[in-house]
Amino acid sequence: MKKINIFLILLILVLPCFSLAQEEKEALIQSKSIKLGIGLEYLSRTIRWGDDNNNSRFNSLFFMLNTQFEVKEGLYASASFGYSFSNYEGLQFKKELPFSLELGDRSIEGYLLGLEIKKSIVYREELEIDVLGQFFCYLGSSETWRIPADYLNVAGTAQGSPSWTRISIGPVFTYKGFESLTPYLYLSFNKLWGTFTMDETIQELEGHEELKIYGKSLFSTSLGGIYKITEVISIKTEATFMPYRGGVDLGLSVKALFSF
Amino acid sequence: MILEDIMKKEKIILAFFFIPFFLFSSNLKYLRIQKDKKPNPYFLLQQIKPLNKAELSRPKSKIIIQDQVQSNLKPSPPKHYKGEKHGAVLSRKPGKKPLVSSEPFRVDRRGKRPPYRLYERIKQISRVRSFRSRGSRYAPDQVLVKFKSTLSEQKREAIFAAYQTKKLKRIPGLDIYKLQIPEGTSVEEMLYLFNQNPDMEYASPNYYRYHTITPNDTLFNEQYALYNSGQVVGPPGSPQGKNRADIKATAGWEETKGEKTVIIAVIDTGIDLEHPDLINKISPNGWDFVDGDSVPEYIYWWGTHVAGIAGAETNNGEGIAGVAWNCKIMPLKVFWIDPVDGQPTTDDSLIIEAIKYAADNGADVINMSFGDPADNPALEAALKYAYERDVVCVAAAGNDGEAVLFPAAYDDYCLAVAATNSNDERVTFLNSSDDPLGPWESNFGPEVDVAAPGLYIWSCDLVSEDPDFPYRLASGTSMAAPHVAGLAALIKSIKPHLTAAEIMSVIRYSADDINSSRYPGKDDYVGYGRLNMEKALAPIMLSSSKKQ
Repeated sequence: MKKINIFLILLILVLPCFSLAQEEKEALIQSKSIKLGIGLEYLSRTIRWGDDNNNSRFNSLFFMLNTQFEVKEGLYASASFGYSFSNYEGLQFKKELPFSLELGDRSIEGYLLGLEIKKSIVYREELEIDVLGQFFCYLGSSETWRIPADYLNVAGTAQGSPSWTRISIGPVFTYKGFESLTPYLYLSFNKLWGTFTMDETIQELEGHEELKIYGKSLFSTSLGGIYKITEVISIKTEATFMPYRGGVDLGLSVKALFSF
Repeated sequence: MILEDIMKKEKIILAFFFIPFFLFSSNLKYLRIQKDKKPNPYFLLQQIKPLNKAELSRPKSKIIIQDQVQSNLKPSPPKHYKGEKHGAVLSRKPGKKPLVSSEPFRVDRRGKRPPYRLYERIKQISRVRSFRSRGSRYAPDQVLVKFKSTLSEQKREAIFAAYQTKKLKRIPGLDIYKLQIPEGTSVEEMLYLFNQNPDMEYASPNYYRYHTITPNDTLFNEQYALYNSGQVVGPPGSPQGKNRADIKATAGWEETKGEKTVIIAVIDTGIDLEHPDLINKISPNGWDFVDGDSVPEYIYWWGTHVAGIAGAETNNGEGIAGVAWNCKIMPLKVFWIDPVDGQPTTDDSLIIEAIKYAADNGADVINMSFGDPADNPALEAALKYAYERDVVCVAAAGNDGEAVLFPAAYDDYCLAVAATNSNDERVTFLNSSDDPLGPWESNFGPEVDVAAPGLYIWSCDLVSEDPDFPYRLASGTSMAAPHVAGLAALIKSIKPHLTAAEIMSVIRYSADDINSSRYPGKDDYVGYGRLNMEKALAPIMLSSSKKQ
């Protein structure tokens, strides 16, 4: 799964370069603006998993470095690389392992790769409408837990490895009437899915279980704003609300952007 | 006009986006930002000992040596008692010797420990504490503390400040405080630190409590094996049992009550097919190997009693609760009444036939509450046949205080079950001396795998004996074995892919080592320990990680 995700990301990153027309490639090189960003994002979503549609929380915090190019007038491409802590408290492995396991509140570190494409479709003096597509992939490191012999009569270990992918696509409505603040509204189809594999070894007992996880919400509304501090530096903040039947999930992000 | 107003207030709008973010991010556990606070003089006065791993999982408490002697109380027997065994008990449970960390704290030049080291200790604690059982859930940001009564109010406030805790509530009369712990620290870490404080009487998590699954069967409160509330068990003069010396059935049932597709074969004297607690639980594949027909009707009460322990209909408002609520019972009758002595008797050929029949006809578990010292390779071959078809075989170890009987002694293919009493002790001639039928002792030997309650066990009796109350007490490893058979069926219900060998290992490894003070680890008396359904069925919580 991880290899497939990495391959997909690389493909998405590389393919546009080959597919661009010659003038577009030149445009990319001589792009009108290049932005570098550094950001922090917090995501808290309700996930369902297992055959019985069990629910639990999924929390993730990621630090990201980000580059954004204006490929040509109105077309932006952005790539992100980050480090993330993801927490799957309450996730239970109850089917395949000899002893069932439940994840606690500790976060699992991992890497995050992302890609964004934004295309302007309507541009008025004070209003801009774009289509924004985002793809993020988290590849968690393998984590080992110790099951000591004073709980069971024998010692054992459990080794877990998570990964998840998130895509979102939808229109962005940006108001450009203010001098230094650019508020926007992003309405999107927002899907999160992933897997968590767990291996258990307790003496001669061995088991392997893979849980599929899915975010409960499929649509999101983001309210954000870009505050221009200087010609070079601006701050982008965003709050995302992801409703689902029975509740609302939340995401927050802040990013510092440096324009060149 | 309105837009112009908004433009003037754009900084407020910006703040609108920033403030929620920082409010949320400051709550994240992984942002353990060390607050730059001046050392608190009171905190520096605390005597901080080197890290003690053993103390992490238990509060500071006195080591209790528990001597319990036979009570002089003479409680009245449960109605319709037809019991057979009594017990007097003696138990000792010394505390474990604490482990001492090899990494003591550094001390500054004045011999005092700087306060920022607190966080180093917290990290160290976090690393060694790798899990907690699922049963221990508590408020993640609160602890309950009680100070020694001599401590002044000012000092208490100073302690709150020193530990950066916030007083949420004081429960008057009991003088217990509910505290909010500082951000970035865990409950375990704070408990460790509080329990190091000599001014503290105790500190504990603020545990969540839930409704547990308690069946409405009228005799459930008498079934100490399933839930031991410290009730009096047995005939007049019996001592009280030890609170929670049971197989943790109620916690296990939260995970599963069994599947109807899972079948427990009871090779025995046949069962009362009309018994109200069994009538809906009988698999149609039962067989009478004595008469050669499909009606395994009882010739004695034994098989009915055994079947009831493993899988009586539960939560039906009458009688007893079975271990495996929903699993089916396949009665396989192999006993006849010996015309000479009037005792139920069987032979190996019928047992072998029954084992093979069970394995071939969908049984997942076989219970054998009988035994004999004679070794017979043909019987072993039959057990192997079942084992290779992933049928879990369970047998009683025997009641003579001698070597484990066969078939229980066929260690590779069968779980041998010893018996315990309501004080979590192996049944011995000493603690069963009040038995109306004479004292008995659970057999022992290296073949013993686990133990389960076997003294004064309530279960089904023949309806013909007392139509109004067809239940009775009985004792023996024969009564212990069906508890294990029931658990095997529950494990099979939620993890049908597990092999017989794996289920047997799960049962062994999850047992409570009740005699660890004298015989740590597996021993000849209770094997790995007394059955624990919670550990076998409920998820183990992985709370912190340790890289290897």
